[in-house]
Amino acid sequence: MLGMPAAPANAGGTIKIAREADSTTFDPIISQQNQDCWIFPNIFASLVRATPDATKVVPNLAESWTVSPDGMTYTFKLRAGLKFSDGTPIKASDVKFSILRARDTKESAWASLYSGIADIAAPDDTTAVFKLKAPSAVFLANIAMFAAGIIPEAAVTKMGAEAFGQMPVVSGAYKLEECKHGESVILTKNPNFWNAAKVNLDRIEWLLIPNDNTRILKLQGGEVDAAILIPFNRVADLQKDPKLAVHLDPSTREDHLLANFAHKPLDNKDVRQAIYQALDRKAIVDAVTFGLGEVANSFISKGAMFYNAAQKDYGYDPAAAKALLAKAGVALPLKLDLLIFAGDSAHEQIAVLMKDQLGKVGIELNVVKQEAGQAFDTTSAGNYDLAINYWTNDIIDPDEKTAFAVYGDDVTHSYYTGYKNPVVSKLVDDSRVELDEAKRQAIYFKIQQTVKDDIH
Amino acid sequence: MERFGFLLRRPLELLPVLFGVSLVSFLLVRSIPGDPARILLGIKATPAAIAAIRARYGLDEPLPVQFLLFVRNALQGEFGKSIVFKIKVLDLVSAHIAPTLFLIGYTVVLALLFAIPAAVLAARRAGRWQDQAVRVASTLGLGLPPFWLGIILVMVFSIWLGLFPVSGYGDSFAGHLHHLFLAALTLAFALAPVLIRNLRASLLSEQSADYVVAARAKGLDERRIFAAHVFRNSPIPTVNLLGVTIGFLIGATVIVENVFAIPGLGQLMVNSIVNRDYMVVQAVTLIFAVGTICVTLLADIATIALDPRVKG
Repeated sequence: MLGMPAAPANAGGTIKIAREADSTTFDPIISQQNQDCWIFPNIFASLVRATPDATKVVPNLAESWTVSPDGMTYTFKLRAGLKFSDGTPIKASDVKFSILRARDTKESAWASLYSGIADIAAPDDTTAVFKLKAPSAVFLANIAMFAAGIIPEAAVTKMGAEAFGQMPVVSGAYKLEECKHGESVILTKNPNFWNAAKVNLDRIEWLLIPNDNTRILKLQGGEVDAAILIPFNRVADLQKDPKLAVHLDPSTREDHLLANFAHKPLDNKDVRQAIYQALDRKAIVDAVTFGLGEVANSFISKGAMFYNAAQKDYGYDPAAAKALLAKAGVALPLKLDLLIFAGDSAHEQIAVLMKDQLGKVGIELNVVKQEAGQAFDTTSAGNYDLAINYWTNDIIDPDEKTAFAVYGDDVTHSYYTGYKNPVVSKLVDDSRVELDEAKRQAIYFKIQQTVKDDIH
Repeated sequence: MERFGFLLRRPLELLPVLFGVSLVSFLLVRSIPGDPARILLGIKATPAAIAAIRARYGLDEPLPVQFLLFVRNALQGEFGKSIVFKIKVLDLVSAHIAPTLFLIGYTVVLALLFAIPAAVLAARRAGRWQDQAVRVASTLGLGLPPFWLGIILVMVFSIWLGLFPVSGYGDSFAGHLHHLFLAALTLAFALAPVLIRNLRASLLSEQSADYVVAARAKGLDERRIFAAHVFRNSPIPTVNLLGVTIGFLIGATVIVENVFAIPGLGQLMVNSIVNRDYMVVQAVTLIFAVGTICVTLLADIATIALDPRVKG
């Protein structure tokens, strides 16, 4: 959520944006933190990129590509005369270096997205040939992402990865001018970017203002042009200010209630369904987001690729919830722990409302608050009954979240819940090699409905 | 100069204190649940990537080995790398010291500018309305939480009156003075009352001391008595108190730097604790400890300079 003065910054001008957290690195493969992920796409260009509505992949550094009939080989043709910010040419060998580095670096936070690439060849400076281990419907979406941003082999080798991560040589629309930790990150237009003529702003200043109130005051005082992550309870207030425009852009963020299948009786579908139907999710969302959020109908967020508006859902029905608990034969009151992030006011509100609603059907909720760092450990170790956690997409294809949240592999155990349905896993496998978009959508609709019916 | 001989002994006394502080901060920060590598990479990261981070920063070593490594490196002036920012802890920390020092110095100056006239007024008009007014103002100052007062000051002076920037540090000395004014004022509001109460009390007790009575008996002018005798002999307890409260002030910057977005050690400390950036937490703790010790030392020197009878 963004607050901005009603008159946007002029083309060729500077925009100052206040944000709540600092950049940690400018090496695109070693961070998953949002504040880093907002900068990476500005400074690193990939071969292809996602359209702003996040539904298609279009050319970027590559002007075109061809796919072999078996779907296993992608040949990219780079634009002529591409240059990094230091003036050195962007060559196919840099493409090979960048993406194999994202795949093979031990500390790469994104290695799994590129593990399907068998090898990359650079027969000449403007041709990059990707050999895949299997046909992949997700491949283009994965290489559209910032972690596949092209970085200069020569500069990285010469500087070393750590120094490069402090002051990178870049391929994107902007270059890093200065990073003062604890204060600001300043980007300026990269004149060597292939599409520099289309880049409007000369300068972007990201200012670190950790305190929500200060960030808003800074905006109201006209010291910054925009502020992001405005608390829900301040939105109505700011909308009344004639000097400000509040941009409510759709987000892929979904807040999930995780149910641990390894903790009885949560392995029983009836019990999970009872919890689901005992919750008035509309009331919770309205209260917590001040009417700005929507109830999700699936793990694929509204408007994202393969979102199904017609997805069948289970509604709020406390009577049905009681009947399901009776059918499951659990002794009431059923006592369950709910893990939330301490200090997260949205989580705390959700917990209060859940405790009340579940209490009405005989489920006694004990709210366990853990600081975020500890909650990560507890969740990934599977030491919870119920937990609240949220996800935002990194690529436009649903495959990333699907692999993490419902596939049921041995690493993430379906969002650390222990859910595993062979039917779903098989459908996910099929979806990855199905290159026909319509057929793939049908598979995805089936995945979503199966997961919903399993109450995962 | 013999009276200042303790200056040579103090650095030796410093060593065991620093060792103790290092050990305690080392153990405390590691006893908070939560794995720095997991926090860094987030909920989506694979165990392999997390293990790689742990190995790179030596977090997979047993605790005693980690501590010995820390001590060995620290003795060579080396504090390793920040897990979050991947740069040398020393570089990171040294970039954050100046704003905090500036803020603390600024606060002390502002607090003294309030405290000295207010205490003198209260002492000279003891029991009258001026004294009561200072007392009420002091109680208010003590009672207002800094994070709340800070926001209110910003509302009034930045948004309504447009006199000071909402937040930030500025680029020049004048810029620092301008940017940090509201933050320093917020802290000074909390610091001044303590100084006022203390200075007022010692002014009052000096005012009734025998030598003052003698001066009055000699027929000296009351103003001269106050300026030359009472005031000169009163500040010692306050100087010592100031030394102690600056220690607390270092802690208070943690909150105020967050509200005013000042790129200082307090903000770095909070961020590093949240992210379990162990080496940064340890280095900043050490700096806070050294800072507190230095301030105490300065207070001792000032005491001796002010009162020839005191020995080190």
